[in-house]
Amino acid sequence: MKKKNDLAVKLTEVSKIYQLHHEKPTLMENIFGRNNNEKFVALDCINLEIIKGDKLGIIGSNGSGKTTLLKIISGIATPNKGKVQTWGKLVSLIDLNAGFHPELTGIENVYQNAMLLGMSRRETKSSMGEIISFADIGGFIDAPMYSYSAGMQLRLGFAVALAAKPEILVLDESVMVGDQNFRRKVKKKIVSFYKSGITVIMVSHWLGYLKENCRHILWLENGKVVGRGGFELLDKYERLKEKKDIHVEKG
Amino acid sequence: MFKFRVSQKRWLELLVTMTVKEVTARYKMAIFGFLWIFLNPLLQMLVLGFIFQFFVPIKTENYFEFLFPGLLAWNFFSYTVSKNTPMYVNERALIQKAKFPREAIVLSVVLANMFHFIMALTVFVLWEAVIVRELHWWRWWLLPGIVVWLTILTSGLSLLFSSLNVKWRDVNFGVQAMMPLWFYATPVVYSLDLLPYWMARWIYLNPMTAIMEMLRWAVLGMPIEWIPVGWSLFVTIILFGAGVLVFKKESPFFDDWI
Repeated sequence: MKKKNDLAVKLTEVSKIYQLHHEKPTLMENIFGRNNNEKFVALDCINLEIIKGDKLGIIGSNGSGKTTLLKIISGIATPNKGKVQTWGKLVSLIDLNAGFHPELTGIENVYQNAMLLGMSRRETKSSMGEIISFADIGGFIDAPMYSYSAGMQLRLGFAVALAAKPEILVLDESVMVGDQNFRRKVKKKIVSFYKSGITVIMVSHWLGYLKENCRHILWLENGKVVGRGGFELLDKYERLKEKKDIHVEKG
Repeated sequence: MFKFRVSQKRWLELLVTMTVKEVTARYKMAIFGFLWIFLNPLLQMLVLGFIFQFFVPIKTENYFEFLFPGLLAWNFFSYTVSKNTPMYVNERALIQKAKFPREAIVLSVVLANMFHFIMALTVFVLWEAVIVRELHWWRWWLLPGIVVWLTILTSGLSLLFSSLNVKWRDVNFGVQAMMPLWFYATPVVYSLDLLPYWMARWIYLNPMTAIMEMLRWAVLGMPIEWIPVGWSLFVTIILFGAGVLVFKKESPFFDDWI
């Protein structure tokens, strides 16, 4: 058992159960008792401790509960059972350009986005220059958001999240995109995070990337932790996946 | 204690920023800008005033003047509740982005529309004072109270319907269908003395009735019965309480349903 001060994240017997819907749920159906109670267990009694400064990569096949786990840690979703504790400022990048208003300018959107991530107005103002230069969008910062390309929105979203100076950074795989140049920039930033001792939790299918950027690996399958350890898990996972692929091809 | 204060300040800052966004986003592309705040109820007043003068035996002296403050309050209420009901579903991108106080999304719309309401009401009151010169200025002290009451009622219903709509999408259709009916169940285009006595009492169970009557009492100097206003207040408190309770219960699980 680690001391509380050393921990960044602690999950105690966390379960998340979703109700499955085939169509949009309606109140009328509920009143007339036509709702189906099909359930899907996304996370099944997870116990997890992540120490401060750890770089944890999460792997697992599709539907194994990776994104749900990130959402639970970030507080976007709430578990049905169990307890989630985090220590330190947490910033999650699960969907990067989420939360931009198309009619507002870049600057106005930066303010709103930064405050959603828990920054104060003053902090946002003082890091505006840094955000603009990291996002590399030049004069577009005063233009309305609908004139931005997808790549520009993504870069701006990333820049704001990094300016929030997270102590725990939660990254989903969908954010590992963008052009070559920007990816290099992001990588440099993550490496600097590596040195500054912040906790990074990331999901990726790109095993090489995890090998480069992580220290530990967590393997999820069907909402349960299958394994936790070093890079040997990556090799095991790869072998298993290859086997499955062959199996599928044969089938 | 200190930490508590900081988070309160953050909450307020977030709410203010989102409210300002709400106000500016609406007028960003419109040439007339803030003129729309007055233009919309003005046009409504002209059309409704023209029509209803002929069809209903309205006993008020200046029907246009009678209509205007009621329309302002009704517009604030109905626009806000209608806009807020599908809000969490429409703003799913924000919900899935970060953990932040979810009520800020809905309350910013309430506050932005409250701002418009106050602006328009101030102009109307000044108009009354300068042009009509029928001053009831000592009754104006009630105006802030009316604004607060209406804001609480609007917030409560916004929280209630928007939370329920996350789980059941037909709540939005229900609200859309209900609003025009609610308009006629509220004395906006008619005065209470047109109704039979028993009905004029029961109609106070609709909290918008008290808002209308108090507004006309304060701005136009019309008479009011104070005792049934208590009924409206009672219903408002119940609706607000229900809204806050349902929101508190449902908001941690919004992400599951959107």
